[in-house]
Amino acid sequence: MKIEIRDITKNFGDKEVLKGITFETESGKAHGLLGRNGAGKTTTIRIIMGVFFQNSGEILVDEKEINRDKLRIGYLPEERGLYPKIKIAEQLVYFGMLRGLSKQDARKAGVKWLDRMGMTEYKDKKLETLSKGNQQKIQLAATLLCDPQLIILDEPFSGLDPVNAMLLKDVISEMIDGGSAVIFSSHQMNYIEEFCRDISILNAGKIAVDGQINDIKRSYPRNTLIIYSQEYDRLSSFIAKSFSERTDSVESSEKDSIVTVKLRNEKDKDELIKLLLDNKFAFDGFRVKEPSLNDIFVQYTEGGI
Amino acid sequence: MKNFFKILKFEYLNCVRNKAFIIITVFLVCASFLFSLLPGLILSLSEDSPDEGSDSDEKSVIAIMKSSYDDELVKSELAPYFPDYDIIITDEDRKTVESKVNSDDYIFASEIDSPLSLIYITKNNTLYDTNGQLLSQAVKNMYTVTELSKHGISQAETDTLMNTPVKTQLVSTGTDQTKNYFPVYMLMCVLFAAITSYGQLVTQSVVSEKNTRAMELLITCAKPSELMFGKVIGSGLAGLTQLALIFMSVSVSFTYSPKNMIPDEIREFIDFPVETLLSALLFFILGYFIYAFLLGALASFASKSEDLNGLTTPVLFILIGIYMLLVIMCSGGMVDSVVMTVLSYIPLSAPMAMFVRSTLVDIPLWETAVSVVIQLATIVVFGMLASAIYKIGVLMYGNPPKLSEIIKMVKKSRNS
Repeated sequence: MKIEIRDITKNFGDKEVLKGITFETESGKAHGLLGRNGAGKTTTIRIIMGVFFQNSGEILVDEKEINRDKLRIGYLPEERGLYPKIKIAEQLVYFGMLRGLSKQDARKAGVKWLDRMGMTEYKDKKLETLSKGNQQKIQLAATLLCDPQLIILDEPFSGLDPVNAMLLKDVISEMIDGGSAVIFSSHQMNYIEEFCRDISILNAGKIAVDGQINDIKRSYPRNTLIIYSQEYDRLSSFIAKSFSERTDSVESSEKDSIVTVKLRNEKDKDELIKLLLDNKFAFDGFRVKEPSLNDIFVQYTEGGI
Repeated sequence: MKNFFKILKFEYLNCVRNKAFIIITVFLVCASFLFSLLPGLILSLSEDSPDEGSDSDEKSVIAIMKSSYDDELVKSELAPYFPDYDIIITDEDRKTVESKVNSDDYIFASEIDSPLSLIYITKNNTLYDTNGQLLSQAVKNMYTVTELSKHGISQAETDTLMNTPVKTQLVSTGTDQTKNYFPVYMLMCVLFAAITSYGQLVTQSVVSEKNTRAMELLITCAKPSELMFGKVIGSGLAGLTQLALIFMSVSVSFTYSPKNMIPDEIREFIDFPVETLLSALLFFILGYFIYAFLLGALASFASKSEDLNGLTTPVLFILIGIYMLLVIMCSGGMVDSVVMTVLSYIPLSAPMAMFVRSTLVDIPLWETAVSVVIQLATIVVFGMLASAIYKIGVLMYGNPPKLSEIIKMVKKSRNS
């Protein structure tokens, strides 16, 4: 199953909040939606969920207009909330039924997910009696009840402690492996890198950059070399002296025992390494410095809102 | 509408299983059971006290100061008006009499200072005190008897002439408003109370889902129209359940209580036809839907319970205004007036006004039918409008918008 979001625009009054959002994902894959607060992530997600209608553009499932009644969608909204005064098992059945399950199937799914979340003992408790982290787990159970083909997770890790975050990570991985398509919005770049091969960074209602994370990283100049060596100080002085015409900067770090060399031309990497080897410098290794997802995010979104 | 019945069932069960709802229902059922016995109890107690207690208790005393009228004439003319009191003629001066009235030795006193003038002396003058009027009627009789006796007509003859009753037979070509007045008045109160309180069940349900943020999930699981109609009908059914229990309790208390507990006068008073009850039920349902949709839509703009008052008060004021107007119309005998006719076709006032008119006035069936059709059309329009407003309102947080802003938002959402 392939889900395509094509050139979506949305206006609220005179304000244009989405200016042509396009991305796609498919079964067994996760797509990361990144952006600062107010960039348009939640509006995009709400349009996919049918809460708002787009002004233009289309949402296609296997090249046909999305039919939300036929597609099993699991949605974890940014604004978490269930019924605080109703028993957990009861409200899971209710939400399962609203997502199209029969009462029996909703009950079975509720039992299964409560067990998976380690929450079976709380099934007859009211939601308000649970800790915030446990309430989040119930919310996730409500999201996954209908065995969704498409899962939309808006900031799923916010408010979770490391143990619960690990559980959520495992569950999401299982769902991806099980063939669900996932659209994932988060500010926590490590989770995005963990699940998503593809990302879209939104800035002021537009896609600032998108594609496979590795391709985005590779698109950056590969002219910065990190050299690991115990002789970082001597190495640094040598490069600064002998290779100065071909470098922009040379920095050493005592803490990491590294030397970072920014070359004017990335083709000079080989020559620099050869020079160091010829001069019998001992080093533990070297690699080209790639930008982190965080660096990319900051670069594309800084000053954007 | 695949989710409508699931939402309706959930809302209904949520309402009827709510602790506060159960406590209020139990209280109302018990209270209405006891309250329906209360008039009988009061009546039997008040009947018992003057007569049967007379062996041990003395009767209250009315003191009439010496006057130009014959003492016996005063006593005989006052006696029929004040059968439960001792009437004495006293020589005491005004000051003494006033102090005795003040110390409750006399229930009241009077000085008849000239044949057609009297001073009525009472401790506390209340709105419901009719003794002064009865007293002046008795003095007027004394004057008539005295004057006629001067022309040779005896007191007995005068009394016979004056007290000969006129037989009156009532032929009402329309509806007997006096017979239905009390039940209609009572059911109108119930109608008003039910519409306001069950309408608030809807507002509470909307605002709590918004406050707990369950709305974000709900709005993606079901259509706003399914959610709005499910809520309104679910809460309405819970209200009807409560009303049915209250009426059953009253009915049981009338049917099975000992006959002497409820005097015939009271039984006749409240023994209204089933059609009146069915008519009240129909207009409750129509009125409830009209107001519940309005209140539900407005409640969707509230982020928390405290915001509700500001948003729903204007609607409740309209309802209270209509109710007050109807009470004035009913008590002023203007049920058949043009104002009432107009009110019975205006959607917001039609449920109560048409109920009163159709029960108290003999109107053609088509008039009721037209009013019902207007109300049904209003419900459809309000239901659709409420669903549209609800969809916009439920995702808005912060200060509730003004009415003009709400109208603008609905217009924009329909265009986009």
